[in-house]
Amino acid sequence: MKYGLVLYIFLMLPPVANLAESVMAIHMHMQMTLFVVVGVLMAPLYQKIFARFFEKWNSNGVPGILLFMVILGYWLLPRTMDEALSIPAVELFKFISLPFLAGVPLRDSWGKLSNVGKNTLYVLLSVIFGGMAWLYIASPVQLCNNYLIIEQKTLGWGFVFFAVSIMIYFISTLIIDPSDYE
Amino acid sequence: MEAVAKKTMKQKVNNVLGANPLDARFSIALFIVAFIAFFIGGVLGLLQGLNRAGILELPTWLNYYQVLSAHGVLLVLVFSTTFTIGYFYAALSHTLGGLLSKVRKLGWIGFGSMVVGVVFVATTIIMGDASVMYTFYPPMAASGWFYVGLVFLVIGIWLCAFGAFINVADWRKKHKGQHISLLAFFAVGVFVLLFFGSIGVTIEVLMIIPWAFGWTDTINVLLSRTLFWSFGHTLVNIWYLTAVSTWYIAIPKIIGGRQWSDTLTRLVVILLVVLNITGGFHHQIVDPGITEGIKFMHVFMSLSIGFPSLMTAFAMFAIFERSGRKKGAKGLLGWIKKLPWGDVRFLAPMIAMIAFIPAGAGGIAQTNNQLNTVVHNSMWVVGHFHLTLGVTVVLSFFGVAYWLIPHLTGRVLTPQMNKLGVIQTLVWTVGMALMSGAMHYVGLFGSPRRTSYTTYGDNATALGWDPYLLLLAVGGTLLMVGVVLMVYIAFNLMFFAPKGQTEFQIAEPEENAAPTPKWTERWTLWIVLMILVVSMAYVIPVVDMIVNAPPGSPPFRTW
Ligand code: HEM
Ligand SMILES: [Cu+2]
Repeated sequence: MKYGLVLYIFLMLPPVANLAESVMAIHMHMQMTLFVVVGVLMAPLYQKIFARFFEKWNSNGVPGILLFMVILGYWLLPRTMDEALSIPAVELFKFISLPFLAGVPLRDSWGKLSNVGKNTLYVLLSVIFGGMAWLYIASPVQLCNNYLIIEQKTLGWGFVFFAVSIMIYFISTLIIDPSDYE
Repeated sequence: MEAVAKKTMKQKVNNVLGANPLDARFSIALFIVAFIAFFIGGVLGLLQGLNRAGILELPTWLNYYQVLSAHGVLLVLVFSTTFTIGYFYAALSHTLGGLLSKVRKLGWIGFGSMVVGVVFVATTIIMGDASVMYTFYPPMAASGWFYVGLVFLVIGIWLCAFGAFINVADWRKKHKGQHISLLAFFAVGVFVLLFFGSIGVTIEVLMIIPWAFGWTDTINVLLSRTLFWSFGHTLVNIWYLTAVSTWYIAIPKIIGGRQWSDTLTRLVVILLVVLNITGGFHHQIVDPGITEGIKFMHVFMSLSIGFPSLMTAFAMFAIFERSGRKKGAKGLLGWIKKLPWGDVRFLAPMIAMIAFIPAGAGGIAQTNNQLNTVVHNSMWVVGHFHLTLGVTVVLSFFGVAYWLIPHLTGRVLTPQMNKLGVIQTLVWTVGMALMSGAMHYVGLFGSPRRTSYTTYGDNATALGWDPYLLLLAVGGTLLMVGVVLMVYIAFNLMFFAPKGQTEFQIAEPEENAAPTPKWTERWTLWIVLMILVVSMAYVIPVVDMIVNAPPGSPPFRTW
């Protein structure tokens, strides 16, 4: 909780936010990811305060994951990145939505998901990221007003790594059974 | 309690039986290669030292750059790698109850591949077709066969790494819920780094081969350099991690103390593995074509490795003080006197650690942009790595050799040999202090590295370097004495020392140690984290290097 709050404030400091947003790949892959991490770190507090709420609305984890996916999907679009830079209200929405509508539900849902649910999420995420990689690398035109084509391609390669990392982790959970070792 | 009793029982059995002879043969074979490489590399080092002092003019058929390439390759690539693998395979065999026979086979195939690689590399250098230094990056181009040799070397390393993974996985399956020994944990960290750290350089070499053979016209120089240093820097930290493993595990045993916290030690290993590869950029601070922002980011990435290093320094002092106090040391510093200074197995790695204080400080200085511009490509850098590698790593390795080789061959380190070892250590220390000190100093006055002796037409500045270069040669001569002594000791321990039992030096865990948490064994997680850190550091600059690349370079032969 404490760390989450410290990280949250740090990320929103204007110089830090400006620096992170000045590079497309850092904007999406570091800043936005870290905002989700903020939510993940802070989740236990909200789970305690709103225990009833989470129990009622997120009993099997699926609604939470859906919300997570919607928010994630929204912020994957080039257009939203642009608006976050030029419209203060959207920037504010980014600061709020990623931690509280993506990070918190992710943590709350993760433990409740079945193995099939988790595996589906791994696959879905790596497929989506793979698709984003293809979009950003192959696109012949500039997709964001604020970022050059070269930055776009860089972001695309970042997505490749993201997708591959998730895939490696996913495959390792399939072939390595911790109960064989622990 | 029961587990501890069982473990000491197993250790006793192990000690009576000695090392598994088949596994021992493998490690000894690697050590033989290591010490031969060390000897030849040392002789070449002396030639360079004497040349730099203006004392010796090298003949045209053996020029300075050829010697320098061989010196770098033999000591940095061959000696260090073969020693590291030999040591960790012995460690796996000892702590995991012997190597699996298929792992041993894999190891031998890897060894064969490495030997083939070294033969290619050495032959091309001797023929004068590969004076490209051990860093071998474009636009200088060696004969294509040189790089083919490098491919064999890397394949050999990979096979050994996979062998280690297979053995560890098998052990853990058979010992559910138990932790692999701390030493085996270090081994896993080192082999993970060896494997992932060499992927970049493999891509580089595969780009270079068609270019060196003339099938492609040009190559991306900056990209090659970056891929090289992702490996070069990691390799440096692999030796460091190897040296550190002996500090944490063997030294406490030798001084009659106990291990430091098992969990925190494993954390040090994990941190070094996750944070390591990205440090490569600090070798390219002066390279054009990498933006300031990226370089700025990498200062932090480099310095982050300082954190586990400081943890290590703290741990060592804690171990020394505790074991000293147990022996009755009084006062603030009384424990220093209680350390076994006359025991070369302690003295050598202890000096290694002490040397790391100035060596680490120099490294932290160098990684800063402004200070780096002062020393970049000067003799300072050569002084720096003869201190880090030539003292910290090498003396730690020697410290291991004094007990590991006799353990493997069923012999003992006699008191006379111990004394000779102490002399070797002191000669080496004084020699390196002189040589490395002179190198650091003369580097600050602008003497360049990788440059055969010249006075630049009797330029006053260049003439001013001469006294230091002379000191360098004096140090180098002492070092040659050290090389001869060490090679003599190593082969004596392998084949001629009296028969007997020597224990593998592993300290017991702390008294009333807390159990080590399970998360330390989540290697997939550490590896994925490492890949994420690597992509954070490399994706932006590398895409920039490829997409915005200037015209490529044709191969050059500058010698
Ligand atoms: C007899 C002992 C040694 C002597 C006299 C010696 C001397 C030298 C000298 C004079 C240079 C050339 C500097 C230049 O012109 O740039 C050099 C380079 C080098 N030495 Fe040593 N050295 C010794 C041992 C070692 C050891 C034990 C290692 C590592 C394990 C080592 C690693 C290197 C490396 C990596 C280079 C740089 C090669 C390059 O720049 O391409 N040396 N050494
Ligand atoms: Cu480095």
